[in-house]
Amino acid sequence: MKSDKTTDKELQIQLASNAALASLINLTILPIIGFIALIWIYRKTQAGTIARYHAVLGFKINIVAAAVLFLVSALMILFGGFNSPWTWVYVITYFTLVHTLFIVLAVWALVRAWSGDTLLNSNSS
Amino acid sequence: MKYQSQSIAKLYFIAAIGLFVGQILFGVILGLQYVMGDFLFPEIPFNVARMVHTNLLIVWLLFGFMGSAYYLVPEEAERELYAPWLAKLMFWIFLVAGALTILGYLLVPYATLAEITMNDLLPTMGREFLEQPTITKIGIVIVALSFLFNIGMTILSGRKTVINLVMLTGMTGLAVFFLFSFYNPDNLVLDKYFWWFVVHLWVEGVWELIMASILAYVLIKITGVDREVIEKWLYIIIAMALITGLIGTGHHFFWIGTPGYWQWLGSVFSALEPIPFFMMTLFAFNVVNKRRRDHPNKAATLWALGTAVMAFLGAGVWGFLHTLAPVNYYTHGTQITAAHGHMAFYGAYVMVVLTMISYSMPIMRGQKAGNDRAQIVEMWSFWLMTVSMVFITLFLTGAGILQVYLQRYSEDPMTFMVTQDKIEVFYWMREVAGLVFLAGLGAYITSFFVKGEEVKIA
Amino acid sequence: MRETFTKGMARNIYYGGSVFFFLVLLGLTVDTVRSLPKTDNSQNLTEEVAAGKRLWEINNCIGCHTLLGEGAYFAPELGNVYTRYGENTEAIKIFIKSRPKDGIPGRRSMPQFNFTEEELEQIAQFLKYADGIKTARNWPPNIQG
Repeated sequence: MKSDKTTDKELQIQLASNAALASLINLTILPIIGFIALIWIYRKTQAGTIARYHAVLGFKINIVAAAVLFLVSALMILFGGFNSPWTWVYVITYFTLVHTLFIVLAVWALVRAWSGDTLLNSNSS
Repeated sequence: MKYQSQSIAKLYFIAAIGLFVGQILFGVILGLQYVMGDFLFPEIPFNVARMVHTNLLIVWLLFGFMGSAYYLVPEEAERELYAPWLAKLMFWIFLVAGALTILGYLLVPYATLAEITMNDLLPTMGREFLEQPTITKIGIVIVALSFLFNIGMTILSGRKTVINLVMLTGMTGLAVFFLFSFYNPDNLVLDKYFWWFVVHLWVEGVWELIMASILAYVLIKITGVDREVIEKWLYIIIAMALITGLIGTGHHFFWIGTPGYWQWLGSVFSALEPIPFFMMTLFAFNVVNKRRRDHPNKAATLWALGTAVMAFLGAGVWGFLHTLAPVNYYTHGTQITAAHGHMAFYGAYVMVVLTMISYSMPIMRGQKAGNDRAQIVEMWSFWLMTVSMVFITLFLTGAGILQVYLQRYSEDPMTFMVTQDKIEVFYWMREVAGLVFLAGLGAYITSFFVKGEEVKIA
Repeated sequence: MRETFTKGMARNIYYGGSVFFFLVLLGLTVDTVRSLPKTDNSQNLTEEVAAGKRLWEINNCIGCHTLLGEGAYFAPELGNVYTRYGENTEAIKIFIKSRPKDGIPGRRSMPQFNFTEEELEQIAQFLKYADGIKTARNWPPNIQG
């Protein structure tokens, strides 16, 4: 049943790629909609697979990004004051740079999903 | 190195690095003039130093592009360069013309330079980035045409790879669009409109083709990934660059007296301009991840990944930041533009040339890669220059936001000069970051002279 | 990328897309150039203004100033300087004339260009003409440029 195993592996990589893509889309052009897609893909994955790994990674990246971007920005506005120019100096510069860093991370996650690997270790199983 | 004539690239690269040093020295002078207004005044006023800074950048990048082409075209075409002697001759002509032009900027007042070079016969001087005397511009055209003839003949009579054809298209576009620099109507709006046919269609158009082909070439060499895969990526990246970038020119036509529809067209298409840069990041990450071999030149791999990320950050994200017309209404012509300009040029064009130099220079010096110690120094220089450029960009962004708020957005707007005093702290920090960049450049040059155990060509 | 998306398709998108959008740019350029007379203040483009533009160029004014937001960001915007100076060309001329030869200690200063009266008038007329260009939403946002 060797051929079944390969198709299953391909299927898992396919799912993992879709999950990583949904995560990237949520971070860039379609926030929230991308996240809903990610949840939908997650429900099709099984524990212990590369697909599950990338779906969970997608959740982690997006939840941490949302917290780090919106929470910290909100705090800056709260403490800096809405009408202070310095608030916007920090918020805009911070948001742009950190947002990009998360996008670059998600891009790396996507190419790792394409090759069926986890973020750091080559997973040849 | 498979073909003897590829080594001509070495000349071009050495000149490029030399002019790069000059560019950064003048950058540091400019940064200081921002905070110490009378520094070197009236000997080297700001406008002269800036002209030297930007023109040296353009000239050394052209040296870098031409050097890259002379290196990769013969190897891709699988034959020697059509006329190596012509490439050498043009090198000296371009170098002497470039040096004389820069000396002209520095030694005589600009108006005198215009007079000496008979600007009146065909006035083209005095427009941003196109400050070169008309005769220098004609020289640039001659050099560009000879160059095109040389690589064109090499490509046509050799193997026609996608990389070679894209490089040739990009360089042809570069030469063709430069011709608009000779059109200088009295009508200011027309002048500005067609000025962008050089500036925008270079940096957000055909230069992206050159960049993508250099990156694709280096990635094939260092990763060993199948050419078919890389060529497919290359096509789709440059397709997106031109599809978004051509009408994206419209983001320069918001406030110069051009019709209102440019607000929509410019905003929509230039909002898509990050896509090709985003795809370059995806492409570089993907092929490095799927590499079939571990090339000993780690530094070149780092530069290749670095240019993909930094081009996306500088050209893509920082461009998007102020490209929508309602935002640009406030940010147009402020330090935000300077912030974007610095990171975009460094990330896309400086780094891709350094990627090519990093890959090819050791080979032209008879090794497969620099020795371990040299590579470590080079990687240090990568991080010093890249991180300091990120900080230069962040500080200028901060300066720009504050400037926009105080001078443009506030209900009680301050004058330009008062605003400049308020944002001085950012200029000081930018100058410090600039000095770190200079140190990084020092490390970069040192890396060529670090001795160690040679990595032999297998 | 997927195997179903071939190199040939990518190449066709590149050729088709770039030729198509280049033609669109060409078409829009023709339309823009045709409709410029409505906004570009060319009715006031006199010989004097043209001479002023040349002076603007050969003294590299763009190396410090912006004009309609384009140029260097070291010195004030001049696309609306005529309005800012109370629609007074004399005020512009007096400012240019009065720049100290050796600058101002510790501060940014415009160089002294030693223009003749005729040249000063040409430059002032050029700036007045530039101010008369109808920009969208009357850019710049306020008088400070």
